[in-house]
Amino acid sequence: MPDMRFAPPNPIRIADRASGMNAVSVRSYNERLVLSLLLQNEGLSRMEIGTRTGLSAQTVSVIVRSLEQEGLVSKGEAVKGRMGPPTIPLSLNPEGAYSVGISLGHLHTDVVMIDFVGQVKFYTSLPIPSDSETTNHSKLVETVRQALDALPDKQAGRLAGIGIAMPEDQDELALGPIGMADRFEALGKEIEDAMGIEVYVQNDITAAAAGESMFGAAKTLDDYIFFYIGARLHHRLVLNHQIFQSRVQESKPVGLLNLEERISKTTQSPQALWQRGQDWPDYGSEKDRWVADCVNSLRESLDAASQFLPVSTVIVSSYAPSDVCIEIADKLSSCTQDVEVAAGHLQLSPKALGAASLPFSSKFTVER
Amino acid sequence: MKTVLCFGDSNTHGQIPGGTPLDRFGHTERWPGVFGQVLGKEWHVIEEGLSGRTTVYDDPIEGDIKNGKTYLRPCLMSHAPLDLIILMLGTNDLKARFNQPASEIAMGIGCLIHDIRELCPGPGGHCPEILVVAPPPMLDDIGEWEGIFSGAQPKSHQLAHAFEVIADSLEVHFFDAGTVIPSDPADGFHLSLEAHAVLGRALAQEVLNIGWSD
Repeated sequence: MPDMRFAPPNPIRIADRASGMNAVSVRSYNERLVLSLLLQNEGLSRMEIGTRTGLSAQTVSVIVRSLEQEGLVSKGEAVKGRMGPPTIPLSLNPEGAYSVGISLGHLHTDVVMIDFVGQVKFYTSLPIPSDSETTNHSKLVETVRQALDALPDKQAGRLAGIGIAMPEDQDELALGPIGMADRFEALGKEIEDAMGIEVYVQNDITAAAAGESMFGAAKTLDDYIFFYIGARLHHRLVLNHQIFQSRVQESKPVGLLNLEERISKTTQSPQALWQRGQDWPDYGSEKDRWVADCVNSLRESLDAASQFLPVSTVIVSSYAPSDVCIEIADKLSSCTQDVEVAAGHLQLSPKALGAASLPFSSKFTVER
Repeated sequence: MKTVLCFGDSNTHGQIPGGTPLDRFGHTERWPGVFGQVLGKEWHVIEEGLSGRTTVYDDPIEGDIKNGKTYLRPCLMSHAPLDLIILMLGTNDLKARFNQPASEIAMGIGCLIHDIRELCPGPGGHCPEILVVAPPPMLDDIGEWEGIFSGAQPKSHQLAHAFEVIADSLEVHFFDAGTVIPSDPADGFHLSLEAHAVLGRALAQEVLNIGWSD
């Protein structure tokens, strides 16, 4: 029997440099471990990576070198420590990978493209097609192509995939045109066929929570309760980075739809509620009352959950203007004890950004 | 205090390009000297550079004393405990008399790594860190050495990749010297004074990047 020590070498990483990013299948668990760590922290030294992953210095050396050569990780300027030798901080290279996220809603479809550190490189919002249209969302593929055109030529191969945030709440789906849910269901495969790019589909609220975990306010949190204020009010539980969705699809009717109803009874137009990235006009006492009801509902959920869950952080996310989100977070915080409440960091379209995080987590991080 | 062994050939010995093994850059000029200066007093740098050293071959002309494999083990034992071993070899394996492709030369490096791991000459019987350094490619013009190194130039360009493959599969540190220094035109494969300084500094940074806990 031959001595296997002297069999042809079997490099874990450098199979072929010419092809750019390595195929997903060869990305080892240890590599994902290092990338996951760098998604959460920037500027780690090799030694810190070793300590926090439990990998040996030589294994870290091999992995970091190859991630650098692939352009996924980049070196910073040497930092002089208080004691000991200067260390070189390592971070994800923003241009190392890109991802497209699509959020499907009853009024709008949001499309974003983000880089490896979550910076938005392209954003647009399309009205959903009327039910008289014969093709399924023909503009969507075109828009995704536009997003990809925003990439410089040599980075075209760096697209990790397309994520779709899929609405599943029956009450919200009922708001759209007839047959919308079925059309949405079919979109993933249609995009994959039309573009030849891998598509990842996830429940929309879960995707928004995943986005906060990867790029937003929950980056360093293991456990938290996630509230999302959309047309209705939704919640998710995140424990040890896993996002749980209750078997019962339960959203509460104190979302933006409820605010819209209230405003509609006044002389003001509620139209700004459904716009992205735009401040609301002063809706006065109608908004204040809605905020109070919303906070109340959140507090009830939180009270119920805190009786058996050791969770001390709450993230409140919405595409509504950030001051509204912050106001709700602050009010909730002031009426609860021992719980920290923060507004989500993802704006414009947390669901679409969350959707864009899906290809990254699938390709670059460890399953948790 | 950390101890590092620099195990190499004439380019670790500090042989002046175009000269003989007795024409040697000074202690502080050759790369292990520069390397030691950058690392400072907490590091003890041992130079083990021999002109003509191969990875694992007995040289039929220069003699079996040039075989890196046979000398490595007693050398490790003499200098143990070692925290780090730097292997910078491969150039002499390119000689026509050995007739080996780059991948086989890399296998020779792999063989040395296995020997180190078998011996475990690190503190407390642990295995030391190992850093494989690929020499810079030879120049096309190597003057009167052309006969001895016939056909070596294209292979010398493949060494870095082949070494990296071995370093990767055996999980050891790797540095491609060709990314920071060229070979000197005086003979086409030795290192100039300037190259020694640059390499010494680059390797010191590489070693510091490993991260050492105490």
